[in-house]
Amino acid sequence: MIIKPEELPGGIKREADIVVIGSGAGGGPIAKELAEEGYGVVVLEEGGHFTREDFDFRAGQAFTRLYRDASQCVTLGMPTFVLPQGKTVGGTTTINSGTCLRIPRHVLKRWHLECGLKDITEDEINLLYGAVEEYLFVKRADPEVAGKNNLVFLDSAEKLGYSCGFLPRNAKDCEGYGVCAYGCPSGAKQSVNASFIPDAVRAGADVYTRCRVEHIIVRGGRAVGVRGRFVDPLTGKKTHRIEVEAAVVVLAGGAIQTPSLLMHNRICLSSGRVGKNLSIHPCGAAMALLDESLQNPKGIPQSVYVDEFAPDGIMLEGVTLPPAVMAITLPWGGRRHAETMWKYPYLGTFGSMISEHDSSGKVVAGPSARQPLTLYNLGRGDLERLKRSVLLMAEIWFAAGAKRVYTPIAGFKELSGPRDLGKLARTHPKRASVYGLSAYHPMGTCSMGGDPYHSVVKSSGESWEVENLYICDASVLPTSLGVNPQLTIMALALRTAGFIDDRLNEGSFEKQSAGRLERLRGRLRAEKESIARRLSGETAAICSPERLRYHAR
Amino acid sequence: MRDYFVERLRRLVPVFIDPVEGLPPADPDQVVEFSREFLFSGTPAFRMIFYTMILFLQALCLATRGKSVYSLPPDEADEFIQWLYSSRISTLGAIPTILGTPIYMAHYNRDDMQAPLGFDIYAMREEAAKKGVLR
Repeated sequence: MIIKPEELPGGIKREADIVVIGSGAGGGPIAKELAEEGYGVVVLEEGGHFTREDFDFRAGQAFTRLYRDASQCVTLGMPTFVLPQGKTVGGTTTINSGTCLRIPRHVLKRWHLECGLKDITEDEINLLYGAVEEYLFVKRADPEVAGKNNLVFLDSAEKLGYSCGFLPRNAKDCEGYGVCAYGCPSGAKQSVNASFIPDAVRAGADVYTRCRVEHIIVRGGRAVGVRGRFVDPLTGKKTHRIEVEAAVVVLAGGAIQTPSLLMHNRICLSSGRVGKNLSIHPCGAAMALLDESLQNPKGIPQSVYVDEFAPDGIMLEGVTLPPAVMAITLPWGGRRHAETMWKYPYLGTFGSMISEHDSSGKVVAGPSARQPLTLYNLGRGDLERLKRSVLLMAEIWFAAGAKRVYTPIAGFKELSGPRDLGKLARTHPKRASVYGLSAYHPMGTCSMGGDPYHSVVKSSGESWEVENLYICDASVLPTSLGVNPQLTIMALALRTAGFIDDRLNEGSFEKQSAGRLERLRGRLRAEKESIARRLSGETAAICSPERLRYHAR
Repeated sequence: MRDYFVERLRRLVPVFIDPVEGLPPADPDQVVEFSREFLFSGTPAFRMIFYTMILFLQALCLATRGKSVYSLPPDEADEFIQWLYSSRISTLGAIPTILGTPIYMAHYNRDDMQAPLGFDIYAMREEAAKKGVLR
């Protein structure tokens, strides 16, 4: 069951087979898998629990209830990026756009060659991806609800000859309300709060909300439980205590909070890699003023992509902003701001995501475990790449008939035609001259690898230093993915769940890894067949000729 | 939020939000109330920066225009804000960006403000409630 602190009489002490810290893309799948295997699972989540009925289309409520620090988390460095992270049951999956992309092949190859992760084979990871995609109803965004903003951009990119298409998403019967970032109000998005966690609870897992873990209990080099405090949502003050003793501890707090907790507990620090190697996806945006109404924000916010420049580390993905978010994104204020907002239905937006090459970042311990500092500097090469991505989006918007394009680059905040593109192309902006930027997908701060000197966890997810302490979130991804990471985190979570199962069953996972894969294959085959039977009736009905044309691409 | 900053924030609202025909006027009380909750839910660092920016804005306006930002005529205040926004010096650009975040979010978070822009919360909520997707 899902337990709120106000339902508890006071502090509690209990036992479980597995205690999971965090209920996002890593913690949710692990909890579900292991609860369904019959283990006693306890999940501790720092945020509150909300259902689709609670998501009320309002930015203010969403930011203060669902986001860590009301989305005021920033990176310190040049330039400063806003780094939004979820803090609710479901983690960031509750507030993301639902994009589900697999790891690019060249990134997996890099993991094999440079990170010593050869045992994460392409076959195995594809199998895991298949299982997650089936479970989350992942399919290409439906063009009928993709949103005019995205469709106009896509058509224009297509006319320019760029490789583009509809993004795969974890949504079932999405109607495109345009507020994925406020929590899905219809329950269509299969975020972890609507999928893995309810299934974990059905299988017997207990989820404690508003519970902040402070200590990982380690005895004799082995993790044996955690201690934490509940937090009053109104005052933010700590209330009663919780202590869970467990055979296995899974840390799944995300790439910023996980290293912070390890640093404050002074564990797993021998490699010197905890908190280092931070990757994020710095994002650029280009807004455009068009003559035709784009019916904002109706439609899926992130439904299309342009991947023509993915080999150069630039991925363009759609983004439609509700009014309150559009208002804080515009690069000016006062009268001009009011006039531009009045034309809100005519404002197009699109975003770019940079896969870093020469930027560097790390997470360091802050004044408290809850508030680590995220240091990040954008490299010159990545800044050029960011500028290029803005140029590309501006080019596509102008080709779509935009009269004006607005950018986050000082001196070029308003482009009035292709002539301005040339000027921007010839400029080399300084890091201080781009601001109001956001970044997403922090990764890599407790990276997995093949040896204990250069990584924090083994490929199984278990830490090199503390036995039975597993890490399962974006922090274990050793390099930037270049694509949205939620599907990869979930796939690796299933993999880690298998290893934990083996550990608890057999004692040593190394002996059983081959058998584990075979068992997984058998189970996935059976699941796939049952889902296929269930969906066979629906599939024919939802495929219009237009959709089939796009799906075939 | 201290009374001093509440008062300053209240007086900043008309500097940042220009009235537009067809849209409801800004409500300083609503902006202050929203900002209070937004800042309370956020990081202490952001709160501190926000208050510092209020003081910095005031000092900068006195230094460059010889008057308090609150006593500038509307046209001059607007020009001052645009000057900051378009500055190539990131610290100057950050002042209105940080101050504008809760102010604009508060204003455009209002139901009566979003509806004329095509974002009718009540209609959409009703539709979503009927829809209710089950796994």
